[in-house]
Amino acid sequence: MSTSERVAEVTVPAVAERRQPKRRRFAQNWWRHAVALIALVFALFPVAYVLSAAFNGDNSLSGSSLIPRHVTFDNFRTLFVGQKNTTGHATFQNAHYASWFANSMIVAGATALLTVLLGALAAYAFSRFRFRGRRLGMLTLLLIHMFPQLLAVLAIYLIVLNVGDIFHFIGLNTLSALVLVYLGGAMGVNTWLMKGFFDTIPSELDESARVDGATPAQVFWGVVLPLAAPVLAVIALISFVATLNEFVIASVVLETQHKFTLPVGLWQYIDQKYSEHWGPFAAGVLIAAVPAALLFAFLQRYIVQGLTQGAVKG
Amino acid sequence: MSAFSGTVGLALKIAFLSIVNALGIWAAVVLIDHHKWRAVAVLAAATAGLDAIYLVKRWTLPLKFLIPGTIFLLAFHVVPVAYTVNVAFTNYSTGHILSKSEAIAGIKVNSLTEVENGKAYTIAPARDKGGHFLLVLRDDSGATFIGTKDGLRPIPRSDVTVSDGAITAARGYRVLKGTELGSLDKELSTFTVPLGGDKAIQPQGFDTAVVLAPTLRYDPKADGFVRLKDGVLFKDNNRGSFVAANGEELEPGWKTYVGTRNFSRIAHSSLIRDPFLKVFVWTLVFASLVVFISFALGLLLAITLNKPGLSFQRTYRALLVIPFAVPAFLSLLVWQGLLNDDFGVVNRLFHTSIPWLFDPNWARVSVILVSVWLVTLPLLLVAVAPLMIASFAFNFNNFGNIYLLTGGGPALGNSPVAGATDILISYTYKIAFAAGKGQDYGLASALAIIIFFVVATISAVSFTRTKALENLA
Repeated sequence: MSTSERVAEVTVPAVAERRQPKRRRFAQNWWRHAVALIALVFALFPVAYVLSAAFNGDNSLSGSSLIPRHVTFDNFRTLFVGQKNTTGHATFQNAHYASWFANSMIVAGATALLTVLLGALAAYAFSRFRFRGRRLGMLTLLLIHMFPQLLAVLAIYLIVLNVGDIFHFIGLNTLSALVLVYLGGAMGVNTWLMKGFFDTIPSELDESARVDGATPAQVFWGVVLPLAAPVLAVIALISFVATLNEFVIASVVLETQHKFTLPVGLWQYIDQKYSEHWGPFAAGVLIAAVPAALLFAFLQRYIVQGLTQGAVKG
Repeated sequence: MSAFSGTVGLALKIAFLSIVNALGIWAAVVLIDHHKWRAVAVLAAATAGLDAIYLVKRWTLPLKFLIPGTIFLLAFHVVPVAYTVNVAFTNYSTGHILSKSEAIAGIKVNSLTEVENGKAYTIAPARDKGGHFLLVLRDDSGATFIGTKDGLRPIPRSDVTVSDGAITAARGYRVLKGTELGSLDKELSTFTVPLGGDKAIQPQGFDTAVVLAPTLRYDPKADGFVRLKDGVLFKDNNRGSFVAANGEELEPGWKTYVGTRNFSRIAHSSLIRDPFLKVFVWTLVFASLVVFISFALGLLLAITLNKPGLSFQRTYRALLVIPFAVPAFLSLLVWQGLLNDDFGVVNRLFHTSIPWLFDPNWARVSVILVSVWLVTLPLLLVAVAPLMIASFAFNFNNFGNIYLLTGGGPALGNSPVAGATDILISYTYKIAFAAGKGQDYGLASALAIIIFFVVATISAVSFTRTKALENLA
């Protein structure tokens, strides 16, 4: 043992003691870190790229590099105000992003809230009441949803078209029509998940409330719903993201730029014009990802709890 | 314990029911105004049903909770699906949209052609004192007429003022001029003045009209059209078209029930069967590969990271879940850009020029790659075997991944519709909505039913395996 090493041992014994096993652990686990790093690159590379492209001054796809040469907010401005054309007027087609975003939030928000409400009502009935046709009803729900609403989109279009001839506010090119159509899926797999969770709430709680004179409606609002908060949050999140993602029905029902939702608007914005629109598009993706990400962050603690209890426990 | 007292609850219930009834009455008034009697009946029955369910005390209790969701389920899922099933047994498609009587009227109009050496007229669109639209006409000899939807009627020449060969005024009528003409396009294009023998005068623009005569005559007894020049009979072929003995067909056709013909086309017509089989096989390959690779990778990652005491474990997990929080449609559109063969980052990074989205095989690799990217990471949270079948069923119908990434393309040489990466659901969607060669709703609906049976079978297997049905106990 050399002198210098001994000196080191003497001067920082505590640090060396802690570091030594950690270093050994790292030596054993290097391949784990390698796998994790490869996975991280694969997982985060598109995210990093969008982040960089959004702030990159050179907004064409070919000109973009991973580290922006000069950081600007031009892409965001293009998104909301539109690009100036030669005469100095904003070009129209670029300036609809704010509407798309607002429309998506309205539609997804309303659909998520109402889906939770409708689904919870049904789940409560399936969980707490014993009635004829209960089993059949739940199986029918599953069976119906195996026929994707997407494939019935022609019929949906015709229904909205005909209803809209008389009641314009729920006709084609309205957000309310879109929400109504999405609510057709409110009772489905959600109901099964919620029913599973409701089953885990001891029925003694309702019974004691009933003894105290509460009506079934009061038990639902006052006892079951507050206790089911985790699963309600999860269903709201799933429904919100699914609605946000929905492309086909939205593209059939909505007709004009200012009524589009984000998927329809961005899809059409980027279609065939990747090289020109890449920068503003990346900025748009970045903003569009924020609400769902925030919801995930806030509801994280509920997600695992709600999913596992609803799905696994009977 | 209770959220609100019985009285408040009752008040809310009454308020809610009142709103529902008020809406019902208002909607009924509007519907009556439009003479939609069947809709009024359905609405009245539904509203009465709702009132009964929420006012009766005991036995409707479960219904009170089930009805709200069920209404939407019926209106926007069950009814559309039922309609789709109905369409599967019809020939509903481009060229077979109308009803039979509309098609007959359409064929009659289409068969009108200008009579050789027929009369030509100078015309002026006008309105009578009652505001009814009509034509003032003047033939080559200078004779003048009024033409209405009911026929042609001569008027004295002195009633009509002509200058430079154009009719400028007519006594008792208001000749339309300038901007008034602009808004007339649609009315004028469908306006004809019937003459005897199925002939008619049709305006050709704003200032001339010609005599048209039909080339086909509908014979109600034979239920077919007779071509006047050669007497060929076009008969109803029971599949929505009038067809001559030599196979010649009149357009348009009409929508009619054709039994299981759409299904037998899928089974027997090589034009449909071959692409269908290709797409079907690719759907199975796609769904199984995505599930298999995702689970293999997910498992690998889980095993790798689940070592107790591994440093940065929490950081890795937190970072790996980030893509999961990005809505899939955004990721798909971004990947479409990253894989672009000219400008795409992937090619520039590896200094390759792989046509990721435009070569059939590379496009297949790309959709699997991107789907794995989308699927694997969430599995870190819940990597459980029973989910595999559910995940398969999900990917079997993963329309978004295919459509937003490649649009099903690139095209396969031998099929006008099916592309290399099309899965059944996107192929069906394209047949119904996006096919360049016309849309076939009947065939698409038949395919939808087939997809339903495949997915239902997969799910049934999944359920018996995972015993989720125990939930029902």
